[in-house]
Amino acid sequence: MKKIATATQIIAERPFYLEQAEELHIAKTAYHNGLPILLKGPTGCGKTRFMQRLAWELTRPLITVSCHDDLSTSDLIGRFLIKGGEAVWMDGPLTKAVRTGAICYLDEIVEARKDTTVVIHPLADDRRELPIEKLGETLTAPLEFMLAISYNPGYQSVLKDLKQSTRQRFVSFEFNYPPPELEARIVLEESGIEQPLAEKLVQMATMTRSLKDSGLQEGASTRLLIHAGKLIKSGIQPRTACKATITETLTDDHEMLAALEEITSSLF
Amino acid sequence: MPDAALDEIFRQIAAIWPVSHALCNSFLKTVKKGLTCLHHSQLADWVKTILAAYESGGLHQTRQLLERVEETFLCAIRGETGISLAEVTGRLQPYATGLAGHPLELIPGQEVYTDTEAVYLPPRIAIFPKQTDNFLFYKLIISFQWAFTAIGTFSLHLPEGSPAIPAATRRQRTVPPPACICLNDYFNLFAKPAVAAHLFHLGETARATTFLRERLPGLMRESAPIFQALARTIPQSAGGSTGDLQRTILLRAAQDAGETPSAPHPVTSLFDGLFRENATSQDSACFATKAYARFLDQAGEPAPPIIFQGVLRPAEVLAVQRKKRAAAKEQFIEALAAVINAQPPQDAPGEKEKNEAQGTGFPELEGQTAAVIPPEGAEKDAPDTKPPGEKTLEFITIDDSHIDLPDKLKKMAREIVEDLGQIPSQYISSAKQAAGKGLAQGNAPPPREGEPLAGANLFIFDEWDYRRAGFRKNWCSLAVKKIIPVTGTFVGNTLERYRGHLTRLKRQFEMMRNQERFVRRQKDGNEIDLDALIETLADIKAGLSPSEDLYIRLARDKRNISALFLVDMSSSTEGWVNTALKEALILMCEALEVLGDTYGIYGFSGMRRTRSELFRIKDLAEPYNDEVKGRIAAIGPQEYTRMGPPIRHLTRLLAESEARIKLLITLSDGKPEDYDDYKGEYAIEDTRHALIEAKAQGVHPFCITIDKQAHAYLPHMYGEVNYICIDEVGKLPNRIPEIYRGLTS
Repeated sequence: MKKIATATQIIAERPFYLEQAEELHIAKTAYHNGLPILLKGPTGCGKTRFMQRLAWELTRPLITVSCHDDLSTSDLIGRFLIKGGEAVWMDGPLTKAVRTGAICYLDEIVEARKDTTVVIHPLADDRRELPIEKLGETLTAPLEFMLAISYNPGYQSVLKDLKQSTRQRFVSFEFNYPPPELEARIVLEESGIEQPLAEKLVQMATMTRSLKDSGLQEGASTRLLIHAGKLIKSGIQPRTACKATITETLTDDHEMLAALEEITSSLF
Repeated sequence: MPDAALDEIFRQIAAIWPVSHALCNSFLKTVKKGLTCLHHSQLADWVKTILAAYESGGLHQTRQLLERVEETFLCAIRGETGISLAEVTGRLQPYATGLAGHPLELIPGQEVYTDTEAVYLPPRIAIFPKQTDNFLFYKLIISFQWAFTAIGTFSLHLPEGSPAIPAATRRQRTVPPPACICLNDYFNLFAKPAVAAHLFHLGETARATTFLRERLPGLMRESAPIFQALARTIPQSAGGSTGDLQRTILLRAAQDAGETPSAPHPVTSLFDGLFRENATSQDSACFATKAYARFLDQAGEPAPPIIFQGVLRPAEVLAVQRKKRAAAKEQFIEALAAVINAQPPQDAPGEKEKNEAQGTGFPELEGQTAAVIPPEGAEKDAPDTKPPGEKTLEFITIDDSHIDLPDKLKKMAREIVEDLGQIPSQYISSAKQAAGKGLAQGNAPPPREGEPLAGANLFIFDEWDYRRAGFRKNWCSLAVKKIIPVTGTFVGNTLERYRGHLTRLKRQFEMMRNQERFVRRQKDGNEIDLDALIETLADIKAGLSPSEDLYIRLARDKRNISALFLVDMSSSTEGWVNTALKEALILMCEALEVLGDTYGIYGFSGMRRTRSELFRIKDLAEPYNDEVKGRIAAIGPQEYTRMGPPIRHLTRLLAESEARIKLLITLSDGKPEDYDDYKGEYAIEDTRHALIEAKAQGVHPFCITIDKQAHAYLPHMYGEVNYICIDEVGKLPNRIPEIYRGLTS
């Protein structure tokens, strides 16, 4: 049976998340009003962590589906399987979330097939219904259920864009790299390194981000900084750690690598 | 002279002669001298350098290069001449951009300075014996020049009554002073502005040193030996010279305690204060004012600046700021005008002005009809990602109605407010005016077809010269033109004549259109495969091992192909060939419409390198309609066959397309040839190289030709399997769609 990348979590410990604006408050309000949410922003800027924190604050289980280009409707809703000579219905992650009143988070929704995005339409408006064609059944989502989707508007492909009919059903949040002081605090908290070093890492990230579109596809994300911080905390030299976690991760182009090395060697 | 050398010289003449006869003469005059220090095997490399210099700098510069072969060419390959800016730009340009957070260009120049948008650097650095040190020095210069901008050297503003304003001027002044004094004005307060500038610059360098030690500790640590080496070159003096201050900077930069000047002077201690982290450019100005009299008395001429200091050019900085401001104004007005135009007409602000704009002039606008208003907290509907405290601008009010600003405009508005403190009302009134004009322009008639379009449709391409194994830079220009469609019976007649064949073609192509299909007996899938299930149940009953492949999956194989047809429109296609080509294109289009692949058709011709022409018959996105049919019918023989530029242009078009498979199909009747020297081996090699470039970009080139001699050169150009020669012109229309089918299935 095809494995679908899902994870059902009841989050026990309070995930670390620094609120930038009022996003947590707004998202909770949206939840209590039965509205679905849309998170957009570059990779590694805290979208998934935000969902974990939201699930923790609302004390609901979180079901995450990482969408890929072969993800079909049945992968979300469910399908009949053969078990010992009998056809048995298996709920997909979305159906499961609706039945149990969980939060269903469809990560990188634009990667999925186009028909998949249409399936969530009746669920995302005031009907809050999930028709299951093969069972001839229509589920009505309980109050506890919440739908969340995310996508990265930075991809310039015309194929990977969210249709207006989909996006206009959601309460939208834009995520971006946090301002330097906040980002330094996040790196510090997550990796346990000292304040000055965290600031240097953020400075490095800011420099790579200004190279976006002039050689780099994307600047260093907060996640990469945390990786670097963790390596440094475990005793690896800062320059080596940055090379391994940031420079080499961002690009394969030799000239760009050399330029990023220059930045690292200036900073550390 | 040995024969081998003579042969080599003759070979090089073939590469130089077509570029410039004069250059070739000079080459012949100097080559004997050149060969005294070069081995003849190095001649080819030398000629390459010479040709590159000729194409970038002209004949005069190249002659100098020829004269001084030893220092200009040999030393460089022996690596004795330090490091050149051109070599390191690739590595340091992203570094500079990363530092500044915006593009900071690196430009070779006589003096080191920055105008905040670019850093001017020596074209070559050969100060240190080790190349790594020379490279590091480039990096150091860039970092210091950036630091001056970052610490606000150029944004010095002295308020009235500042201690930095020299007392003499304060007393003497007869005209009322300006509200505050900026950098250039400040220097001009002194009798010798150059000395004041020098002292102020020293103070700023001290601040920059501290700043860089804090921001780029790695760089400063690595550069310590450089600082020490530079410090040693400054001559010891009796004290009171600016050289002492320079040494202080260098030793501080090297984190070397060093020897402190014997008698600490009040001016020196003021200077030391500039190394504190909280020092400002006003402190530097105070220092410069205090030190000015003293250094004028004792030292006379100030010492030359340390190389990485460069010089301050406040006038250039000001010019850049003005330019930026003007550009920002223009952009803002344009963007705002677009927003105003996009407002729904019933509540469009400035509606009445718009109507009047089409008449004579534009009515005078009342002074304050517009204002940009920072938002109140409650009005934000999206999480605010900006740091708290930063002012954001959300909407603009014009004639009492709110216009929400798009994000891009908000950012522009914020930058303007940062620069000028507010958005001048003139900006907004200009935008309203521009909005009105835009509407008027919309009514202008569209440009006539068939005419060459504006400058945007002219493209410049390099051309491959096999004799020197290098490109001729910016050698050809290619104009993309429209073709005027003709109405006539050609298309109808063709469809009628090939009716039977066309039906068969359409059926064949339809079968290739397998976008969605069910795959049975899969390990996983959306539905249960009942046949497989029944079989499995039977197998279980019969005691056989059951199959696990019980599902049906919907597989989607999008063809995802983009094809461009490049049609030879040279004069040799006149007559029967031309007709056959056009018929083939019509059949091809009919078949492709069934298949659903994206495709485009271009014709090419031209004369000489300056006038290659590409005729757009159908581009990739255009639908196949009567106009396209008319354009196909209008294809007629033109001039010559210069193949390089059209191939390079279509490669670029295909490279931009998202398709998985990209095809470039050339329909031709002979070898590439042009009126000038584009013939024979040269033409074939350039075309071959253009095709290699195409392959490198993921484009599959293919050639369909009717030239009976094709086997002699096409395998070399396209590769053994990438062409087809049709021996009879009459077969073209039938064969081309079949070839396409074979290629893509």
